[in-house]
Amino acid sequence: MEMASEIFAIFRRWNTKLLRQPIFLFFSLIQPLVWFLLFTQAFSSIGNIPIPGTIPTPGAESALEFYTGAKSYITFFTAAVIIQTIASSALQAGIGLVNDLDSGFMDKMRVAPISKSAILFGKLFSDAISTIIQVAIILLIGLALGVNIASGILGVLMIMAIAATFGIAWSGISLFVALTTKSSQTTLSVGLLTTFPLLFLSASVMPIQLLPSWVQQVAKVNPFTYIAQAFQNLIIKGFVWDSIGYAFIAILIIGIISLGASILVFRKKIS
Amino acid sequence: MDNIIVVENLSKTYGKDIVAVNEISFQVQKGEIFGFLGPNGAGKSTTIKILTTLLEKSSGKATIDGLDIDADQSKVRRIIGYCSQEVGVDDDLTARENLMLQCRFHHIPKDKALNKINELLQKVRLTEAADRRLKTFSGGMRKRLDLASSLVSDPEVLFLDEPTTGLDPQSRQDVWGYVKQLNKQGMTIFLTTQYMEEADRLADRLCIVDQGKIVAEGKPNELKAKVGADKITLWFKAGDIEACEKAVKALSNLQGVDEVGKCVEGFTTEEGLVIMAKNGSAVVTQVVRALDEAGIDLEQLKLTAPSLDEVFLKLTGKTLNVIERKEAVRRGRRGMRS
Repeated sequence: MEMASEIFAIFRRWNTKLLRQPIFLFFSLIQPLVWFLLFTQAFSSIGNIPIPGTIPTPGAESALEFYTGAKSYITFFTAAVIIQTIASSALQAGIGLVNDLDSGFMDKMRVAPISKSAILFGKLFSDAISTIIQVAIILLIGLALGVNIASGILGVLMIMAIAATFGIAWSGISLFVALTTKSSQTTLSVGLLTTFPLLFLSASVMPIQLLPSWVQQVAKVNPFTYIAQAFQNLIIKGFVWDSIGYAFIAILIIGIISLGASILVFRKKIS
Repeated sequence: MDNIIVVENLSKTYGKDIVAVNEISFQVQKGEIFGFLGPNGAGKSTTIKILTTLLEKSSGKATIDGLDIDADQSKVRRIIGYCSQEVGVDDDLTARENLMLQCRFHHIPKDKALNKINELLQKVRLTEAADRRLKTFSGGMRKRLDLASSLVSDPEVLFLDEPTTGLDPQSRQDVWGYVKQLNKQGMTIFLTTQYMEEADRLADRLCIVDQGKIVAEGKPNELKAKVGADKITLWFKAGDIEACEKAVKALSNLQGVDEVGKCVEGFTTEEGLVIMAKNGSAVVTQVVRALDEAGIDLEQLKLTAPSLDEVFLKLTGKTLNVIERKEAVRRGRRGMRS
């Protein structure tokens, strides 16, 4: 009970800080827009590629539709925009902690009779709120660009649930780097260096069947693949429980490792 | 008097050979202001961080109000307040929000918290700025808020790590006022400082620390009496090193003079020639007479009672703080003071 109120206090602090940075909302609008426009324009012909070796395509107009059910590339690509946005903001979660370490506010919190985990979870839950806001913005942009969400309003809620939990789990990596290195520069570069390779080595930007075979192997162990497929199915087909299950298993595994490691590092007294 | 802080053979080492705190032992009595005076890198912050449960000690033992800082860590946190050197406040929040956050950290019920916050804001004269974000605050205002935020839980012991470093003179006076006031109301205060004036003005008792060790402990007056010498400083016409050398010769064998300093480069402008004497006020006339007899032109003379700075110099062979020393000299030059 005490811990819940501690988490809530810290959660509110970060929410207040977030609302006082209007620049955040601006960027969370601009970034997905740029992604949507750049990729869907440059790669739109992916939606017209026939299945290799089979002419004409049986039962589907393109390989993309055959493998994923998506009629246009933008419908397929919406999932990638969501993942990119979650991952890049999750990997900045640690920056806030580094700022607190530098400003002395962290020491103030650590001297107070509150649980260490509350300090981390208050921050993570606040980040989850901003993730949900960002996902809502992306979906609205998608709708405006003609993306239809097959699973309806419940599917949107499911997308948000996956996005929020994935964001929390993925943030753990950033928290761990931040607490170990105490450097915002390192924290930021780890974020930038992991997001792009993981995105392109997964089934986010291209159906897995169309990837070169070595990339397929990487994609199969890449958590982004499972998150992406869950999103893609919810947008293109509706509720496909298998893929939703895989996504949550991936989130659980990442979360236990990343958050467990962060809490362990944080519990040790640091100077 | 009861001891509220008891430290025994406390050490902190980093890696294999960096010893930040070296086997220190001391006690702080309930209700006193206890100072830790020393230069940067003496181990002051390390000690305060260990006592406030922020940093793991390497060896030794420390208790606060009978509670072990390791075994009873969470209980210790309930009875202490801490102001770090960095000023731990959130710049995106208002003063009131910062205090509310601290109240929540200490699980103070809301109605009680609201009263407490108003009371604290008034105490540190921030009532009018209460709903402004800290981005617009001056350094002194931030420090005052920081102080207030460490008081929300009415701690038994307040730890202040260099509370006035980087503050302007007025803000420094303010902080000193609050510290004295809190102490009058019964709060035990442990503070670290690199300013001897601060230690002298505030501390009931103090430890002088250098390179992780306590080199002296006692009341400021006791410590000053230990050095037991007044300081006479002489200035000659700018650049007149010859006059200085002659003065050293003339004064070396003078009755009552314990020690004559050296003529160093730049002596005429800043440091002057320093003479130590047990009974300075009696010796000073003889010094003037001796210089007169030797035909040396004296520009200025200053007589100072022993300060903690001299105690420190004597014990460690180093000066505490060069900038502050220069300020003191400039102030002193306005006239002869005792």
